[in-house]
Amino acid sequence: MTRLHLAIAIVAGLLFANSAKAAGLLIIANPSVVSPAPLTLSQIAAIYLLRVTAWPDGSHIVPVNRDATSETRAEFTADVLQADDASLAAYWNEMHYMGKLPPVVQESEQAMLAFIRNVPGSIGYISASTAPAGVKVLAHVP
Amino acid sequence: MLVLLCLTWGLAESAARADSGYQLGHGYDLGPFNLAGYSNLVGNLPTSGTKSLALEDLSLFVTGHLGRFFNPFTEAELTDFDLVRSGPTGPDHGDGDFVLERLYNDSYLTDAATLRIGKMLTPVGEWNQIHAAPLVLTTVRPAVTERNFSEYATGVSALYSDPFSKFPDIQVYWQPASEFSERPSTITFHQYKQVEGAHVSFPIGLLDMVGVSFQQSRDVQGVDQSLFGADFHYTLGKVTLQGEGTVSALSRPPAVHIHNTEWGAYAAASYAFTDKWSAYSWYEGFGDRSSPSPADDLLFGVAYRPQPPMVFRVEYLQNFGGPPVNPTGVFASWAVLF
Repeated sequence: MTRLHLAIAIVAGLLFANSAKAAGLLIIANPSVVSPAPLTLSQIAAIYLLRVTAWPDGSHIVPVNRDATSETRAEFTADVLQADDASLAAYWNEMHYMGKLPPVVQESEQAMLAFIRNVPGSIGYISASTAPAGVKVLAHVP
Repeated sequence: MLVLLCLTWGLAESAARADSGYQLGHGYDLGPFNLAGYSNLVGNLPTSGTKSLALEDLSLFVTGHLGRFFNPFTEAELTDFDLVRSGPTGPDHGDGDFVLERLYNDSYLTDAATLRIGKMLTPVGEWNQIHAAPLVLTTVRPAVTERNFSEYATGVSALYSDPFSKFPDIQVYWQPASEFSERPSTITFHQYKQVEGAHVSFPIGLLDMVGVSFQQSRDVQGVDQSLFGADFHYTLGKVTLQGEGTVSALSRPPAVHIHNTEWGAYAAASYAFTDKWSAYSWYEGFGDRSSPSPADDLLFGVAYRPQPPMVFRVEYLQNFGGPPVNPTGVFASWAVLF
């Protein structure tokens, strides 16, 4: 019986993990952001790599990242930024020294949502399985 | 000074506490401004000359974002301050100097074009632009990354940077008169009155690039100087290669100069054993305008980076040819971007 429970748990875990991965990411922004949606992956990457720093209306873009241990961040880094964490950290430190602020870090999906809701110009990402309450969805990354 | 060191240590200790609102390397946000900086504590143990424990740099920089056309930036630092010293003193005495490194405003004309006005670092090679100790490869700076050209320009600059990196990054700059808040001669090799130049960088990866530089300048002695340079940064798995070379033609060598050219080149390699531990080495040849023969230096060392904004390094440099531009000896440092 114990082995059966273990097998069911493993299968259920794998199914859940696959469904979470299949859900993908939502790219979200403060409701005040005026931007043509959906954004392409290249446009999102350009924002997070600080090569685009202003929205079309001229307001400042505030990119928001999850903490380094987050699976959502790992997915975003691999699928959108296509770089490793060490290189990104070095890159963002260099950009900071050159006058461009690296992404702000939030430690949970709820903290991310709260920050995006409250800070004009901010852009972030959440798992597509999380409801994007009170924010604007700019893209869905499958 | 102890207060400043304690402050740096305290910030380092609170590094991972994101819930406090502060994260090491990100600085403090105050409305549209961000206050940040870096420190570099260095143990200098040359085989001859002054041995010291020095605060090489304590830098503070402020970034502001007030709209598309008003993005001020400034950096000031205390440099070359000996905390403990033994042996004969050098020409700069290690008493510390306050320096205005940068003071400019960026106007984002489009997503790709920026107009910069003020005092800025010149883009002669990658190292000069990111010369903060926590960001660069080694404690001892290769001479070619800071000599043979004006490191600063006070004037106007236009920058082009394609958002999608499909085209090369381009920067041109022009300094019509003397450097604003000129650094004292004890901490610079040459002082320049007029500077103009350009840098073109071909991005080949997130950090990888190949660049070429040109700079035309006139120093306070009236010597015209034309510099050509190239630099590169390339990552291959755990190995990173980087280097830079410059050559300058001098219009007329004054009495103190032996040569009418000055040149230098370094090549470096580093290997990352883990995310935190790495080993590195560089070789440099530098032909100073005032030296009868070029210097050859070889450096190797190890680095421990417990987190991206902080690094400990220990390295050994051996000069084996010509009058040294960097002394033979052991050098160790603790650098923090805060």
